[in-house]
Amino acid sequence: MKTTIQEQDGNMVAILEGRLDTAASPETEKAMSPLYGCEGQDIIIDCTDLEYISSSGLRIFLGILKSAKAKGGHVYIKGISDDIRAVFAMTGFINLFEFK
Amino acid sequence: MKGILAYIRRKLSVRVSLWVVMFAAIIFIAALSFLFYQSREAVRQEAISRATQILNNTSLRVEGILNRVEVASDMTVWLVRRHPDEADSMFVYSRAMLQNNPDFYNCSVAFEPYFFKEQGRYFSAYSKHDGDSIRTIQGGSDSYQYFFMDWYLMPILLDKPCWTEPYMDLDVKTNTSEMVTSYCQAIKIASEQTGLKDKEEQGKVIGVINTSLSLNWLSQTISAVKPYPNSFSIMIGRGGTYFVHPDTTKITRETIFTATLEQPDTALTALGHAMQRGEEGMMHTNVNGEECYVFYKPLGKTGCSMAIVCPESDIFGGFDRLRRAVMAIVVVGLLLMLFFFMRIITRELKPLRRLAKEAETIASGQFDAQLPDFQRTDEIGQLSHSFAGMQQSLVKYIDELKNTTAQKASIERDLHIASAIQMGMLPKNFPTRADRDDVVLYASLTPAKDVGGDLFDFYIRDEKLFFCIGDVSGKGIPASLVMAVTRSIFRTVSARESMPDHIVANMNEIIADMNESNMFVTLFVGVLDLPTGRLRYSNAGHDAPLLVGSGVGTLVCDSNIPVGVMPSWKFTLQEAQIFTGTTIFLYTDGLTEAEDATHAQFRMERVNDVAIQALAHQQQEPRQLIGLMTDVVHQFVGDAEQSDDLTMMAIQYIRQVSDVKYTKSIVLPNDTKEVPQLAAFVDEVCKVVGFSPSITMQMNLAIEEAVVNVMKYAYPPGTRGDVTVEAKSNDVRLKFTIIDSGMPFDPTVKADADTTLSAEERPIGGLGIHLVRQIMDSVNYERMDNLNVLTLRKKIVK
Repeated sequence: MKTTIQEQDGNMVAILEGRLDTAASPETEKAMSPLYGCEGQDIIIDCTDLEYISSSGLRIFLGILKSAKAKGGHVYIKGISDDIRAVFAMTGFINLFEFK
Repeated sequence: MKGILAYIRRKLSVRVSLWVVMFAAIIFIAALSFLFYQSREAVRQEAISRATQILNNTSLRVEGILNRVEVASDMTVWLVRRHPDEADSMFVYSRAMLQNNPDFYNCSVAFEPYFFKEQGRYFSAYSKHDGDSIRTIQGGSDSYQYFFMDWYLMPILLDKPCWTEPYMDLDVKTNTSEMVTSYCQAIKIASEQTGLKDKEEQGKVIGVINTSLSLNWLSQTISAVKPYPNSFSIMIGRGGTYFVHPDTTKITRETIFTATLEQPDTALTALGHAMQRGEEGMMHTNVNGEECYVFYKPLGKTGCSMAIVCPESDIFGGFDRLRRAVMAIVVVGLLLMLFFFMRIITRELKPLRRLAKEAETIASGQFDAQLPDFQRTDEIGQLSHSFAGMQQSLVKYIDELKNTTAQKASIERDLHIASAIQMGMLPKNFPTRADRDDVVLYASLTPAKDVGGDLFDFYIRDEKLFFCIGDVSGKGIPASLVMAVTRSIFRTVSARESMPDHIVANMNEIIADMNESNMFVTLFVGVLDLPTGRLRYSNAGHDAPLLVGSGVGTLVCDSNIPVGVMPSWKFTLQEAQIFTGTTIFLYTDGLTEAEDATHAQFRMERVNDVAIQALAHQQQEPRQLIGLMTDVVHQFVGDAEQSDDLTMMAIQYIRQVSDVKYTKSIVLPNDTKEVPQLAAFVDEVCKVVGFSPSITMQMNLAIEEAVVNVMKYAYPPGTRGDVTVEAKSNDVRLKFTIIDSGMPFDPTVKADADTTLSAEERPIGGLGIHLVRQIMDSVNYERMDNLNVLTLRKKIVK
């Protein structure tokens, strides 16, 4: 699992690659901590190379969304695969996030 | 005739009048009959005494005449004997006889031949009335040798005076003849004279005095006596010859017996004989074709007998006229009575007819029809008043009835809706073989009233069939309310609890707590683990179900009290293994206690018999079994009203264990870091089974979430433990079994995540088990042998 955080056009961009399972989620959560600290910028999570996500991964997404929303920011998800979109649909997360 | 009878039946006035007149007629007939009979007897007695008296009088008169003849004859004999020598004196005697007795016909003083020598052979001083004078001649001659006549010979031969039979007396001078009867007396020489002459001459007959009476005159004398206008007298001689008869042609020519020669008449013959014998009496006989009373009596020494014939019509003529008049008056009177009675009764009943008409109007539905006020105080007036009262009450009751009916209709509508709601609560989609390969189920509920107190419910959660059947005490609306509450409590409680004893205990707490009206529920709750056929159940006072499989038997049940009776009762849990093909048959007491018309109950024995019969015919399939049971019960009950709610539920376990094609397992410690090994294991299994990458990813997700749950929560923090994941597949399904030895933990009872909440509202946790349920076809938790066993199944789709 590889996590990269960038700033791009004033937006925070997180690029996730590999399997975000229960074993990987503590590390990933740590890597994505800067996103909790952003002040009002929009957050883009790039899932183009994300292969797998479990409920622990979804919990990280939800935490980032709650934090951003509290500060008036938006969270966009980019390049999501159909399999992972199905998981988002099963959990109702598809209604919470905005997709690019 | 029929018309008249119908008219009489319809008309009260005619009927009553007829009765009255009929009774009056009977009384009249009886009284008049008695009166007529008595009167007739009196008339008859009167007639007899009258006729007898007249007869006696006549008889006395005739005897008086006859006596006179005899006395006169005696006198003349005495005179002749005093002076037998002077022939001319004889003419004087003879003439004096007629002079003194003008009613005598003639008189002869005749002497023996040559008695008077100077007179020659014949001498008879004969006197006879000739107009007003008396003609006296010498009667004997050669042509009339009187001493050969009967009247001359009879007294000499008999040696005593006598009356002759009537004979024809011929008057030579006028050449007329007359029927006469004569008194003849011999003249004998007196003793003092014989003393003078010759002793031998003493007592010698010298002549005969003949004194005649005209029969015609006698007849008139007798006939003059007429007690009745048409009565007549007859007189007969010794031989029965008529001497007196209204028909003069019969006199001397016919006898009383002549008529009987042509037509034998015993009564007339008897009369004739009686009269000949000289008897006196009365006889009822037919004379000349007419009923007559004949009164008869002998006439002195003449040997004759006289009779008065009185026609019955004469005797009873007056009486019959009176009778006819009375009868006519009675008949006319009765007819008048009938007529007036009919008129009077018709008039008196007129108000009744009006009342009847008004009653009909009221009966036709016009309750406000005005009843006539008769102003009468008799029974009809009372009836009219009562009727008016009834009409008022009727109007009132009809109003009340309308209101009640409307209220009832409203209640019935509500009940109907309630019934629909209640039926709607019951599950309707019964799993069939087309739906499931492990269980088929069917149930039926027939309330005795619109709504009932029986309930059944079932649903499948996590490869477990939750089912219950119950019977609320009582019937109708109260029972139905408790039933509805019980059913929803069952759903609520069983959603979070998989153990039947806990379900029943929880339900008992809730129902007992709110049980103000002391209602209770007998309840059987079962949970059938569909993969294994393991049945867990708790029976709260309900009828034990039947098991219909290799045989028919009863499921052994502990005796627990019904739900709602006592809070905190400890309900026992029981277990049984249900084998493939076996049907669990549950029912309420409405089945065993179904009553026929004679209140005989269906009884458990019959239920058993039907089950055995169903098994023998391979009809233990739920729908067939319940259908058969329903038919038999209906046949038994017949037309009797259903006495109690009737509920049946049949559950057949049909799971066929397929051959396991593939088995693989892995044992992991309780560390989430082991998840990649798990992923590798799942990937391998899915590859063997042939799942697509998408399904494989979802399998990974579901198994990871389930295993991570165990890793995190089954063991207390800081303690080590293992999690075994076993994968098995056949042609149909892939099954993952996750086993741990941690504390009992059933993830399936956790409330499912609400996926509709907004980001702010959504809790961070609770997603794992939700995903597992979403992905897998079934999730099943079992606590077995101190192990938590979670079974996840997925149908193999290639």
